[in-house]
Amino acid sequence: MAGQEPSKNPRGDDADNPPDTGMGMTAVAYLISGMLVWGGIGWLVDRWVGTSGIFAGIGAVLGIGGGVYLIVRRLGV
Amino acid sequence: MTGQSIVLAADVPFPPSVEDFYLPSILPWAEHDNYWFTKITALVWLTTALIIIYFLVSYRKPQLVPTKKQWLAESIYGFVRNNIAVDMIGPRGVQFAPYLTTLFCFILLNNFWGIVPFVQISPNSHIAFPAFLAVISYVMFIAVGIRHHGVVKYFKTALIPPAPWFILPLLIPIEFFSNFLVRPFSLAVRLFANMFAGHMLLLVFTLGGFAMLNANAWFAPFSVVSWVMTIALTFLEFLVICLQAYVFTVLTASYVQGALADGH
Repeated sequence: MAGQEPSKNPRGDDADNPPDTGMGMTAVAYLISGMLVWGGIGWLVDRWVGTSGIFAGIGAVLGIGGGVYLIVRRLGV
Repeated sequence: MTGQSIVLAADVPFPPSVEDFYLPSILPWAEHDNYWFTKITALVWLTTALIIIYFLVSYRKPQLVPTKKQWLAESIYGFVRNNIAVDMIGPRGVQFAPYLTTLFCFILLNNFWGIVPFVQISPNSHIAFPAFLAVISYVMFIAVGIRHHGVVKYFKTALIPPAPWFILPLLIPIEFFSNFLVRPFSLAVRLFANMFAGHMLLLVFTLGGFAMLNANAWFAPFSVVSWVMTIALTFLEFLVICLQAYVFTVLTASYVQGALADGH
């Protein structure tokens, strides 16, 4: 550790994302936020229209779909 | 006999509660509901002082062949610079290494109070401290992104993913939520919850031992098992302490990297 040289292959700015904790956390955050955001919007629509949860359900499914899509686009190849 | 054991059991507050995290204040001495200067405050100042003094002393007369103190200080800095800052951010990471090292040392030492005998509470088990650290990191990565890209381009790269236009309305709210709301929240809560749960766990096993002993003398062997568990869990806590300091620093570095990246 002491006098350790800088890593032999420092990342250039155009290299891939570092294969580290960051990506896993980002993926989980996308999944959960997709479900929460659109599920929440659906829930609000439910309250507004007076239905008992159909829009929240649709929203959560759509949201998780969006989350998966984002993971593929942002973190995939 | 039964009455007496109930009185004894009542002496040990079991199960532990959130109240156990609010210790009586130091100044004025032993007053409850007064939080201006408590053990937590003292520990945070002590941490800050220790870090400043240690690094000042060990770098005062830097030697080519380092002394032990200098070696340790250099190892810590070298570890954060090479294995976190440069690894995550790239060559530009060197300019963030001082901040990341400070963050790492501050969190590590603050967490470490959780397992120091007779101190045994970490300031980070109060959400205010992790929350403020998360706010600093949050403001920093946004400011870095804005300085690197300019306001409009930064928010464009952060919010608009590479996707056909007709799914953008679906994706932009998700991006906003996960990049600007979940990040600081999860950063703060992860550290806080780990320290809180760790302290709670140690309390449960320590006080549980006393509670069992007081309830019935025949439970004494189980009390001993409970206290042995406390010691084992203290070692587990040591692992959690190092890991959480590392994770907080790595995630901050990863957010800075995201702010500096030029989209793909």
